[in-house]
Amino acid sequence: MKKNKLGEFQELILMAVIVLQENAYGSEIQRDLEKRLNERLSVGAIQTALKRMEGKGFLTSEWGEASQIRGGKRKRIYSATPYAHQVLREMKDIRAQLWEAMPKLGISNV
Amino acid sequence: MRHRINHTVPPMWPLKFLRFFIKDRYLEEIEGDMEERFQDNLQRFSVRKARRLYVWDTLKLIRPELLKRITKSNQLSHLDMIRQNFKIAWRGLLKQKVFSFIKIGGFAIGIAACMLIGLFIWDELNYDKHYAKGDLIYRLVISYDEPGNTLRGVTLPAPVKDGLDNGFPEIEQSGRMILFKWFDTGDNQFRRADQVQNAFENGFVYADPEMLEILEIPMVYGEQSRALSEPNSMVISKRKADQYFPNQDPIGQTVILNDNESHPFTIGGVMEDFPAHSHLQHDFLITLSEKEFWPGSQTSWTGSNIYDVYVKLLPGADPRHLEKKLLSIRDNHIVVGLEKEGDQFAESVKKYWTLELQPVEEIYLDSDIRDFLTHGDIKVVWLFGSIAMFILILAMVNFINLSTAKSANRAKEVGLRKVVGSYRQGLVVQFMIESWVYSLISFGMGMLLAWLLLPSFNLLADKSLNFPWSEWWLFPISFGLAGVIGTLAGIYPAFYLSGFKPLEVLKGRLSMGSKSTALRSTMVVFQFTATIVLIICTLITYQQMDFILNKKIGYNKDQVVLLQGASTIGEHRAAFKNELMRMPEVVNVTQTDYMPISETRRDGTQVWKEGRAKIDIGIGCQFWQVDENYIETMGMELISGRGFSHDMASDSAAVIINQTLSKRLGFEDPIGERINVGRGTFMVVGVVGDFHFESMKGVIEPLAFVLSDYPGSMIAVRIETKDFKQSLASISDVWQEFMPRQPIRYTFLDYSYARMYADVERTGRVFAIFAILAIVVACLGLFALSAFMVEQRSKEISIRKVLGANFAIIIGLLTRDFLRLVLIALVIAVPAGWYLMDDWLADYAYSIDISWVVFVVAGAIAIAIALLTISSESIKAAMTNPSNKLRSE
Repeated sequence: MKKNKLGEFQELILMAVIVLQENAYGSEIQRDLEKRLNERLSVGAIQTALKRMEGKGFLTSEWGEASQIRGGKRKRIYSATPYAHQVLREMKDIRAQLWEAMPKLGISNV
Repeated sequence: MRHRINHTVPPMWPLKFLRFFIKDRYLEEIEGDMEERFQDNLQRFSVRKARRLYVWDTLKLIRPELLKRITKSNQLSHLDMIRQNFKIAWRGLLKQKVFSFIKIGGFAIGIAACMLIGLFIWDELNYDKHYAKGDLIYRLVISYDEPGNTLRGVTLPAPVKDGLDNGFPEIEQSGRMILFKWFDTGDNQFRRADQVQNAFENGFVYADPEMLEILEIPMVYGEQSRALSEPNSMVISKRKADQYFPNQDPIGQTVILNDNESHPFTIGGVMEDFPAHSHLQHDFLITLSEKEFWPGSQTSWTGSNIYDVYVKLLPGADPRHLEKKLLSIRDNHIVVGLEKEGDQFAESVKKYWTLELQPVEEIYLDSDIRDFLTHGDIKVVWLFGSIAMFILILAMVNFINLSTAKSANRAKEVGLRKVVGSYRQGLVVQFMIESWVYSLISFGMGMLLAWLLLPSFNLLADKSLNFPWSEWWLFPISFGLAGVIGTLAGIYPAFYLSGFKPLEVLKGRLSMGSKSTALRSTMVVFQFTATIVLIICTLITYQQMDFILNKKIGYNKDQVVLLQGASTIGEHRAAFKNELMRMPEVVNVTQTDYMPISETRRDGTQVWKEGRAKIDIGIGCQFWQVDENYIETMGMELISGRGFSHDMASDSAAVIINQTLSKRLGFEDPIGERINVGRGTFMVVGVVGDFHFESMKGVIEPLAFVLSDYPGSMIAVRIETKDFKQSLASISDVWQEFMPRQPIRYTFLDYSYARMYADVERTGRVFAIFAILAIVVACLGLFALSAFMVEQRSKEISIRKVLGANFAIIIGLLTRDFLRLVLIALVIAVPAGWYLMDDWLADYAYSIDISWVVFVVAGAIAIAIALLTISSESIKAAMTNPSNKLRSE
């Protein structure tokens, strides 16, 4: 767990990659997340996170088709590895346990 | 391909930038994303905003993950490599302690010398930069340009000021000063009117009231515009005000000069002390307002040319244009005045005489004009500067030499590095970094050295420089220079060393550093040439100094005491002289203003044979007022005729001339001839042998003595004694008796004489010191080179010894090469040194002849030093037991 730490932003992107499936390339991920988070993201931030997670083995990628809107450049389609799925699930579990362990709302001493 | 109408494209330059720095393998994807993003933004925002967002996004792409590596190897970052290079440079430095010390030490000495000289030059060039309107302040300079007789001067007749004030609208203000010894200028006995004790002060000058405004002199008390406007007023400097009128405003106070109570002065104001970097350094400005030295002295265009004239122009005035207009002063006044008097000089004045406007900041370094100011010498600036460059080059040559000499040791390193994949570029960087490390360390040490040596340098150069530790520019500039010098010194070794072919080097085929022998030899020759030239210069300046101090100068400068500030003695002079003459050791006494040493009073005038005044051009001549004991006291020689005598009433119209004047007037038998001077006719009663009364840079000029009872400011006492101290004490006692309110001040004639040539002595010392520096640097280099040579040839030497070579043969073998180089240097240096010093001596009308002995001595010194330097290593090599060196084979 220690080595495979996922940042919060990275986790969001990873999940977006899984959600978008075969459409998971840079700009689409960015559009999707911007809509959900309701804030502007930069290409640099998205790309950095993608490259880092690829380096850590959460993602793999392959070339997709080119399009006119991309100025004739190919997309790079990302997909999550089984390992990524496993880590995501672990994190969800940890969160769930923590939620369980938290004192009920209202009783908590603020 | 895709020709779409209305396809808005993102700005081009961020794209180029992107392509430049993003990793190649990410480029297509990211470029595509950026484009798509841009098109998205176009839907939502204006084109301009979309473009702006595009640029912004591009900048945000600068992230370590996405950037290209700068080095070719992806394993090591650039930074790591540089760190590695520093480490290697440092290790190399520690491994070769002696070598490193010599490299750095030599470099540091060169840099220290350069820094000191740099400070000196900076200081010299920074005079008179403190004026707010400095570009409008000018001094008038007369340029007389007759072929074969060019002169530049600054002194003009009194009415020039009125001439300038009327008719030249571009001149805002003009003002005059009298700077040389004239009535109350120079030094005086000074006291407050309410006190009796006199004190000796100097730095008195006359100045027009306008001078305070023209030179923007800040006032402590009083106003610039009014402080000097009252007749007989004076402005004193703050330091003098603090001394005489502590804690009060002295305006309106009365002061007395030379006990002359009938002519008191009123303080009109107190000015700030002149800044250290001002060409003027005076403490007392006496007003010229309504000053009449004699009736009509302020209106005569042909009377006395004694006024230095300054002007302040209006902004926008063209000084070159004004110079042309100023010729009207020459044509309408000066020439007219001369013609009216029938002076034949008028014609020449019209032809050759012009006025120039000299910017105030150029005054200090213009030492060609005799204007009774302290000057820097632009020649000295150049001399110092070139010597500094020379020493720095010597040090750099050392550096290059030693680096390439050690190449053999580095060759294998280079070879191995190349084998494991180093590029030449990388090696060059490595060696450059080494060079920079050395240069930086040397710079640090040089700076410290310069700081430590600054007090001695100040003494040498007669300056008061401070090390600019607190200036913001010191460290950036030093750092930058260290980089530049490191680059210059390192670039050749870097390319030389990095050029080795790995195969040859590792096979051991490279003959040890021999490739650059020719270059190294050239550099050794260069170093020794410079050294020998400096030795020659040193020897010749010292010879010239010796010549000046011991030449027969036409009078006897030894054992003469000069009592200063003696004009206050007034009518007691005869009694005082008699009292002194009663002392057994006193030979003679004379009182005068005029001495055959510089900075005493001078009176120039025109002389004609009687009756030729309107026909011939006058002969410029010094006209000195002396008493009857002058010639005898000074030990001058009467060639013919007799000295002055008080018993002969006619002697008030008698004159004694020097040989030069006699010759110039064309007298066969001068005694009894009569001469015309502006103020009357005189009969020649004697001829005095020529004596030097100005620096030996000029020839002896015509001179005449007339008899005068005017109490001069100096009393010269010739004594003959073994016990100088006792005599001085006795003279002092007599003085106290006559002048209880004025402490005695004296100096010695021979000392004053020597001071005239302080600059020669200084030049000699500068040469000596820099010669020593050059020798040290050159020797450091030579020592290291010889050590290296011996190391390289140690096996050869051992084998030779085994085969029977004796000590002398080995020493000869090792020193022969170096000695040859020194001899070549000698051959080059002799003509160079001769040429330089011949040029320098040409400044002197009286100088030594350069003899071949100088060159022999210089050569011998150089060879001796070279031998000494080489010998220690050579002897060590010749003494080692050969088995030690050969055992390993």
